[in-house]
Amino acid sequence: MRFPLAPLIAVLFGLVLLSLQLMSSATQESSQLNEMYSSLLIINALGSVVLLGLIGVNIVSLTQQLKKREAGSKLTIRMVSLFVLLALAPASIVFFFSMQFLHQGIDSWFNVEIDRAMEDSLELSQASLDQRMRWHLRQTQQLVDQLYETKSETQRMDDLEKIRAQAGAAEMTLFSRQGRIIASSSINPGDIIPHLPDEHAWLNVRRNDHYVALDSTKEEQLRVHVIVAVSTQDIQYLQALYPIPLRIMDLADLVEFAFVRYQEMNFLRDSLKLSFSLALSLVLLMSLLAAIWVAFISIRNIVAPVKELVKGTQAIAAGHYNQQLPVLTQDDLGFLVISFNDMAQRIAKARDETRLAGIEVENQRAYLETILANLTAGVISFDKDFRIRTANQAAYRIFHLQVSGFYGQTLLDLSKEHSDLADPLRKIQHLLENAEDIWEQRIAFLGPNGLQELLCRGTPLYSPEGRSIGAVVVFDDATDLIQAQKNAAWGEVARRLAHEIKNPLTPIQLSAERLQHKLANELQPKSLAILQRSTETIVQQVEAMKEMVDDFSEYARVSKKQTEHINLPSLIQEVLALYASQGGAKFTTSVEEEIMMINADRISIRQVLHNLIKNALEATEKNGNVKITVSNRFKNNARFVEMAFHDDGLGIKEEHLDKIFEPYVTTKAKGTGLGLAIVKKIIEEHGGAIWIDTGYKAGAGFVIQLPAV
Amino acid sequence: MRVFVSTNRLLSISLWIAILAGLLARPAFLHADDSKIEVRSIDFALRDGQYYLSADIHYQLTQTAREALQKGIPLYWDVLIKVVRERTWIWNKTLVDFKIRYRIQYHALLNHYRVTNITSSDSTSYASLPAALAGMSTIRNIAVLNEGDIAEDESYQVGVKTRFDREALPLPLRPAAYINPQWYLSSDWLQWPVQK
Repeated sequence: MRFPLAPLIAVLFGLVLLSLQLMSSATQESSQLNEMYSSLLIINALGSVVLLGLIGVNIVSLTQQLKKREAGSKLTIRMVSLFVLLALAPASIVFFFSMQFLHQGIDSWFNVEIDRAMEDSLELSQASLDQRMRWHLRQTQQLVDQLYETKSETQRMDDLEKIRAQAGAAEMTLFSRQGRIIASSSINPGDIIPHLPDEHAWLNVRRNDHYVALDSTKEEQLRVHVIVAVSTQDIQYLQALYPIPLRIMDLADLVEFAFVRYQEMNFLRDSLKLSFSLALSLVLLMSLLAAIWVAFISIRNIVAPVKELVKGTQAIAAGHYNQQLPVLTQDDLGFLVISFNDMAQRIAKARDETRLAGIEVENQRAYLETILANLTAGVISFDKDFRIRTANQAAYRIFHLQVSGFYGQTLLDLSKEHSDLADPLRKIQHLLENAEDIWEQRIAFLGPNGLQELLCRGTPLYSPEGRSIGAVVVFDDATDLIQAQKNAAWGEVARRLAHEIKNPLTPIQLSAERLQHKLANELQPKSLAILQRSTETIVQQVEAMKEMVDDFSEYARVSKKQTEHINLPSLIQEVLALYASQGGAKFTTSVEEEIMMINADRISIRQVLHNLIKNALEATEKNGNVKITVSNRFKNNARFVEMAFHDDGLGIKEEHLDKIFEPYVTTKAKGTGLGLAIVKKIIEEHGGAIWIDTGYKAGAGFVIQLPAV
Repeated sequence: MRVFVSTNRLLSISLWIAILAGLLARPAFLHADDSKIEVRSIDFALRDGQYYLSADIHYQLTQTAREALQKGIPLYWDVLIKVVRERTWIWNKTLVDFKIRYRIQYHALLNHYRVTNITSSDSTSYASLPAALAGMSTIRNIAVLNEGDIAEDESYQVGVKTRFDREALPLPLRPAAYINPQWYLSSDWLQWPVQK
């Protein structure tokens, strides 16, 4: 609840001014307010005290606000200080000079000459009156002689009357020695009782035979009071009262009045200064205090919107945008507040819109993420330092690791943790670092499910300004696709071979046999021998060729596996038993466990073992050693059975290392070159992997991993 | 003397405080001289069915007051006379409350002091200040109460005080009169039980 301040202030100021005006009027001698001076002084002093209290309260509250660092308090202090300074400085100057003028003015009323003149004039009037008194005394003394001769009572009365009239006295009385009235005469017949002298007068008369003094009547009129002794045997006294002429009396009065007034003023000089100073100080104090108080109030009013604005700003800074400030005034500050409210509204609106947009963006992002996550292609994005920013589920599936756990790391960091993935990761990193445009690369690596072929496509990302901001790599697991392509290609080759090569082989063989049969009886024994050798060679070679084509078609044929659980160690033993009767190389097997199960086609695995054993036997001389190791492996969260063949034969030449598993690659004089290719095919069909143990230098080493059951 | 505290007294007290607050550093006052104004005796007697009051007041002026008088400033005193009936539980009842106002003034021309009883408009001139003060000091036979106003079974007090009227001083002197002991020219109350 705000009460109207302006009228209150106006009323207060009015009261202050009124009381000051009253005090000022009270100092006028004639004023009715003269009697109220002290009360007015108290009222004004109390007013000052009240104002002082108000200001004190304001100062205290302001200090508290400042301590609390409340909004607007510093501004208030600055403005109040400025205001007080502005009010105080001129007021003090005016006060100082007023005081000076006042004191000088009062002092200038008095000086020695006037002092002297005043005293002299009083003395002059006193002297004049004195002279008159003495003159009347002498006159009265002379009159006594005339009175002396009188005898009778009535005669005496007449004489007295005559003498009084002659002397111009207002009243004459004859007293006996004891002070009894003998006769009396007055200018005013109504005065029956004459003026009676007091003790003091009698005392004087008895001592000096005469008494003279100035007397004042009840009407404050001066008269000369003379008493003289009438020198007879019974002493009598004559009292005469002479009026002072009106003109002289007026003059004397005026002189006395002026003198007294001057004396009084002189006496009051310091008090006058003090009281004027007091009044002036009170005026100054009250006006200053009132001004300061009003300053406090008006500054508080001015600062109030600023305070609100500061609070509002703080609220907005803290994120409370629904802030609406009250519009207190219609001035510039009010306009500011209105603008502030508008701004707050707009910010709130903008915030809401941003929030909605954010939600929208978030939805979009989530949608994209869902799409990304459900892509079969792995997507990994990198920042400009090639640290992983995002990765989708497919990336995990392909790499078999939680890529998202490595956000903020580079692929190199990742490769340190996962040594089995080191190769492809390093390769991708290398490509990322060196690519300036979209690149595409096929990367093969040995995953948990055997050899994996990735089709990677990297795109460097650029900001609109052309700065590199990272890259995105999309990769597909193309293992199956490539395998299928290869298989299809080899199948086609095999079909053609069967068709184009195998078909003519039978007529060739039949023709050779027929030649031998028909010509056996007609030829010379010598020629027959040649024929027989030649036809035999042809038949043999055709057989070999047929065999080769069969082999090849078998390799190329899409396998129809019948998988079952196989205990690998026992299968190895079974196969090895077939070779035990043959002389030559010596087989040693070491098995980690007696039972190590795999899920595979028994015939295919047998073929793998045969091929590898044959391979080893062919590679070793007589007395060669072949070591077969079967062990468990655990990698990429999957269990594998690892089977290693190590012989001490000739080994594999360096240049053949990368092509040893391709068809028709062989180091041997005989053989189709399909042995290892078929092995690799079978192993890969089983989700396993085969590679050459390059670390083994004593001969050839093959390592096979098959998923364990 | 709570009984006799008047509004004037309150005024003077508050003025005292205000002026003390206003004029901060004034030296402490010493009682410069032993001038003491007091009511010396009261005679309250029943004669012819009326109670008459007589009192003797001793006036003695301080240096400042004397000087002010000599400079022509008139001084005013109010002789306050009060008769109260004492009551045990509540405020005393005031039966009589009146004042006699005196003025003393110096006449430079005639070199005499004039004492005026303003209440009765009597005035007397005196050649000397002691005579004038003596003239002012005696109060004789003022009829105050009828016999019937006094009940037999109650107790009464009569009080006399002379109070210097500071407010009658010239305006510039007034503030100072409240703080300068030289202007403390009032007596205390003198109380006397009424003899029946």
